[in-house]
This record gives sequence, structure tokens and C-alpha cells, in this order.
Amino acid sequence: MTAMSKPILQLKNVRKAFGTLAAVDDVNLSIGEGEFFTIVGPSGSGKTTLIRMLAGMEKPTSGDILLHDKRINDTPANERPTCMVFQSLALFPHRTVGQNIEFALKIRNVDPAVREKRARELMQQLHLPADYYSKNVTLCSGGERQRVALARALAFDPQILFFDEPLSAIDYKLRKTLEKELKDIHRETGKTFVYITHSLEEAMVMSDRIGVMRRGKLIQVGSPNEIYSTPRSRFVSEFMGDVNVIPVEANGAGSVRSQSLGASFKVPANSVEAKAQCLVVRPEFLRFLDTPAEAQNSLKGILYNEYALGSRIQYQVRVGEKVFLVEKLRQQPFKGKLDDEVLIGWDPENAILVADE
Amino acid sequence: MSDSNYSVRHILIGVWTAAVLMFVFLPSATILIASMTASRYFTFPITAFGFDWWSKTINSLEVRSLAYTSLSIAAVVTVIAVVLGFFGALAFARYDWRGRKLYQKFILLPIFFPQSVLGLALLLWFNALGFTLSWKTAVLAHLVWIAPVVTLVMAIQVYSFDPSLEEAATDLGASRWQTFREVTLPVLMPGIFSGSLFAFLLSWGNFPLSLFTTGADNTLPKYLYAKMVAGYTPGVPVLGTISTAAAAIVLFGGYVAMLLLTRNRKAAL
Ligand SMILES: Nc1ncnc2c1ncn2[C@@H]1O[C@H](COP(=O)(O)OP(=O)(O)OP(=O)(O)O)[C@@H](O)[C@H]1O
Ligand SMILES: [Mg+2]
Repeated sequence: MTAMSKPILQLKNVRKAFGTLAAVDDVNLSIGEGEFFTIVGPSGSGKTTLIRMLAGMEKPTSGDILLHDKRINDTPANERPTCMVFQSLALFPHRTVGQNIEFALKIRNVDPAVREKRARELMQQLHLPADYYSKNVTLCSGGERQRVALARALAFDPQILFFDEPLSAIDYKLRKTLEKELKDIHRETGKTFVYITHSLEEAMVMSDRIGVMRRGKLIQVGSPNEIYSTPRSRFVSEFMGDVNVIPVEANGAGSVRSQSLGASFKVPANSVEAKAQCLVVRPEFLRFLDTPAEAQNSLKGILYNEYALGSRIQYQVRVGEKVFLVEKLRQQPFKGKLDDEVLIGWDPENAILVADE
Repeated sequence: MSDSNYSVRHILIGVWTAAVLMFVFLPSATILIASMTASRYFTFPITAFGFDWWSKTINSLEVRSLAYTSLSIAAVVTVIAVVLGFFGALAFARYDWRGRKLYQKFILLPIFFPQSVLGLALLLWFNALGFTLSWKTAVLAHLVWIAPVVTLVMAIQVYSFDPSLEEAATDLGASRWQTFREVTLPVLMPGIFSGSLFAFLLSWGNFPLSLFTTGADNTLPKYLYAKMVAGYTPGVPVLGTISTAAAAIVLFGGYVAMLLLTRNRKAAL
């Protein structure tokens, strides 16, 4: 785990039940000051519920939330030094861009001239044209509204900023731009960001650490690299993109066996455990072989289909009932044609054994 | 072929809509024409035009007091109905609470009560409670029917209100009251506005409830009816025209005010 700064936010056994459903279940987490922490997980896994508790819009059923080591469970949202950017953005439709950004300052009775100055600074920082100051916010484009929402939150000058999937409704190209800008703003302000997304890519690009949620539980926390290369469960590895998952059993030291494929595979000696397990091989670590000797593990299959993914090409290879994904760079030579018999393989250090859950 | 089909269809649409509009507006226009007679009696078509009855009516003290009573009732009803309707609409469409479904059904029921029966029932109540009938009891009677209408009109707007706006305001440090004043109220303003137009106009033109509950005070619709039954003069259509015109002016003024309101909001860059 990366060396963490002083914790700003700590969650101790936090749980939130709606009726009999535990939307958030026994979450323990510590978020460092200035960290960009991202929560990912499928729909309904409790991400929004968790962040709403952190922002003060929902109270935990049990457990404690600590800000700078002080319990804030019962502190209402308007007394917390935190601010949230909503998925709907929740911009005030009856207000101009400037009035939206200045809202928090107006609430604090800041002098109008000072307010305007601050709003204009933020607009400049977020690349909003200066003449938008008196434009009605409902007339702004999606990307502009996004920036206004961020500016409004920054004007509050919170210690922690929460984001609940703010970019989910935005098209791919603009989303990429805004992701970069958000990361820049994180650098410039040095504030703590807690970010929710569905998108693995978004999480990988922006975060210092990622937490994966599943059915209300936080099942793994780590740097993007850790989550990507050493997932602890089948669920996490599959959530992190296309992978090949082979259910296996232990088969002596340094070896596992797949019932369905009728084959044994070499694995790093220290990784074998007794529990039900899966062998995970990423498509980019699988390669086409000319002879079985070229890799320590190999399988024979039929080249079934191919997909161009920009700089890479992904192939589907059928081995018995199972479909394997193999990826190679476009410029690497490969002469296989569809329906050809092909040989695929990988080396033990490129596969991971994970729990089958 | 398809071109001529197209134009035939357009002609039919034009004829149809014109016929419906005639059907709806012609009667009111007749009142205007009937008011411009020089004769003493109700005849149609008119043989001699004249505006004597207009000046007589406008200068009559009785008519002024009638208009004043109708106006007072409508104004008071509007204020109270808007307050009741606003919070009623929040309960109707904004908050989840036990009994909401039941409330949603029952609050709308009075809209469909036959008004004359409602008026009679209220008359019985006022007598039982020992109230002296006056324009004030009429206000209460109007409210029984108008408050639900206003609640419904406002609830339609409240449904489109995004609750995360209030959360965002609170999150930015606003207290409950500041959130209400800075966000909830202004965002719902158009609904409040159309609700008050409804309240005013429905009260201004109401006859069946007023008939039973105004007592010695008299309103315009009630007076029109009484005069029509006994003692017709062309002052009746004059007054009818004035009453309708007043409603039209309020409606049109409201429309313009609404346009200005939304235009100001969308202050162009
Ligand atoms: N106010 C509520 N009342 C009852 N159940 C709720 C409430 N809010 C959330 N839930 C339930 O809690 C679970 C978690 O919901 P939550 O919105 O936190 O998920 P999420 O991870 O944010 O999902 P998504 O990615 O779709 O936004 C869901 O099953 C949801 O139906
Ligand atoms: Mg959510």
C-alpha cells in the first residue's frame, strides 16, 4: 500500500440498513489528507449510500464516522466542512452561473464584491468564459454545467469534496477532458477528493487509491496498480476489465488443475491455497505460440473471432466449451485466420490465483 | 396526391378548430353585443345600438360595491389558498410520509363535489355554528373548493422539483430556512403564481357557493343571476361583460408577468 498521509476521514464498522437490506455493511476505511480516493462497484452496491453518509445526508445505522478524529455521525450536512457534486449536478435553475458559484459565500454573508471576485477566479481556473458570469445556468452545455457545479463546490472551500458519478451522463471525449481537468484541480487545490464511478477506466486514470464495493461491503482497497495486478477475488478481477477466469483446484506444489479443461497449469509456488480458487489470466498476457515449448502453460484452441481495439487487437479463442480472450499489439505479426487451430500460452508469473467469490 | 391529401387535412383541421373555438367563445361575445343596446329589453338581434347602459352601470354605486365585495373575497381566498395549497402540494408531491396516498385521494375529492350541494352543506354548518353569513363566510366556502384545486395545480410543479437541489443548498451550508428561502420557494415560484391565478379567477366567477354563503353581501355572479331572474335591464350584459373582461385581464396580465419572470431568469449573456 502507498504511504498514506495523516487520515482525514475514518470509517469504523459503518453500516446503513434500509429495512432489512444492508445497503452499506460494516465498512472500515481510512482516507488520507489530500488523497484522491475512488469508490467503484456495480449498481446497487451501496456507493451512493456510503458517500451520502460521509456528506451528512444520511445517518449510519451503526458504526462511526470520524473527521480529524472527531465523531461526526450527528453533524448535519450544513455544518460539515465537506461538499458534494451530485450526479444530477443540482445546479440552481433560477440562478445565473455567477450566483450558483457564489451560493455558499452568500449564505455566509460575504460581501458581494468579494463574492464576485472569488467566483470570477474560479471560473477562470475552470476554463469558463468570463461573460458566462451572468448567463442563466440552464442555458449552459453539459460540460459547462459540470464546471459550474465544481466551481460552486470549490467556492465553499471544503476540506473534502465528494463526487457521485458526476461524469456519467457525458460523452466519451468530453469525459476524458474533464477527468484530466479534475485531476489537475485536485493537484492545484490539494484537497481530499472522494469519487464514485462505475467506470474502471475513470478510477484508474484519476485515483491514488481505489475501493471496490460489492453488496454493501468494501471488498478490496488498494492503489490502481494493486487492484489491477493483484485482485483478491474473482469479482474484483472481473470488475477490472476483460479477463480469462479458469476455475481450478490445487494440484500439488506449484500446480493447479482445471477439471473442465482437463489440464494442469504451473503457478508461482507460493500462491497455492486450499480454498476454491480461480486462475486469472489477463488477455494481454496470453499470447499465440508456434510450439508448446515457448511458454510454460499452453492450450490448443480454435480462432473464433477478432476485434480491433485501437492500438490492440483482441481475439476470441475457443478451447472446448470455454472462450479465451487474447490480446496483442496491432504491429506484432500474426498470420492466424478465423477457424484455424491455434496454440495459446502464458507463463506462471503472469497469472494470479484468486478466491472464487 | 399526397400533397393534396396534406392540404385537405389542413383545411379540415382549420375548420374543426375554428368551429370549436366559435362554440366556446361566441356566447361570451354575444353578451358584449347584448350590452350595447339602446333598448330597455333583452332582444336579439339588436335593432338600435347605444352605450347608455354602460355609463349607467359603471356609475352605479351598487355595482361598485358588488365589484368590491367580489374582489375582496377573491383576494382573501387567493392569499389563503396559496398558503394552504403550497404546503399541501409539498405534502402531496415532495415528501414521503405515512398516509400520503390516502391524502392524495381525499384532498382532490372536493373538486368533484357538486358545488351547489357543497354550498348548501356549508350554509347548514354556518347556521349550526352560529356564524352570521357575510363575505367572510363566502371566503371559507370558496376555500373548501378552491384550496384543493390550487393544491393540485401546485403539486404538478412540485413533482418536477429535484429534491437534490435542497440537499445541495444544505450541503453548501444553508440552514433549513435559508434553503427554503433561497431555493425551494423561488424554484417553485411559477407554480405558486399559476396557483394564485387559479384561486383568484375561480373565486371571482363563482356563483353556486356564493349563492348560499354570502348572506346580505352580494357578489357579481350572484347579482347577475338575481337580475336575470327578476328585473332584467341591459345593465346585466354590461356587468357580465365587465366581469368577464376583468377575468381576461387578470389572466392576460398573469401571462405577461410570467413571461417577464422567466425572461428575467434567463437573463441572456
Ligand atoms: N432511501 C432508500 N430507501 C430504501 N432503499 C434504499 C434507499 N437508498 C438506497 N437504497 C437501496 O440501497 C442499495 C444501495 O443503493 P445505492 O444507491 O447506494 O447504490 P449505488 O452503488 O450508488 O448504485 P448506482 O451505481 O446504481 O448508483 C440499493 O439496493 C438501493 O435500492
Ligand atoms: Mg449511486
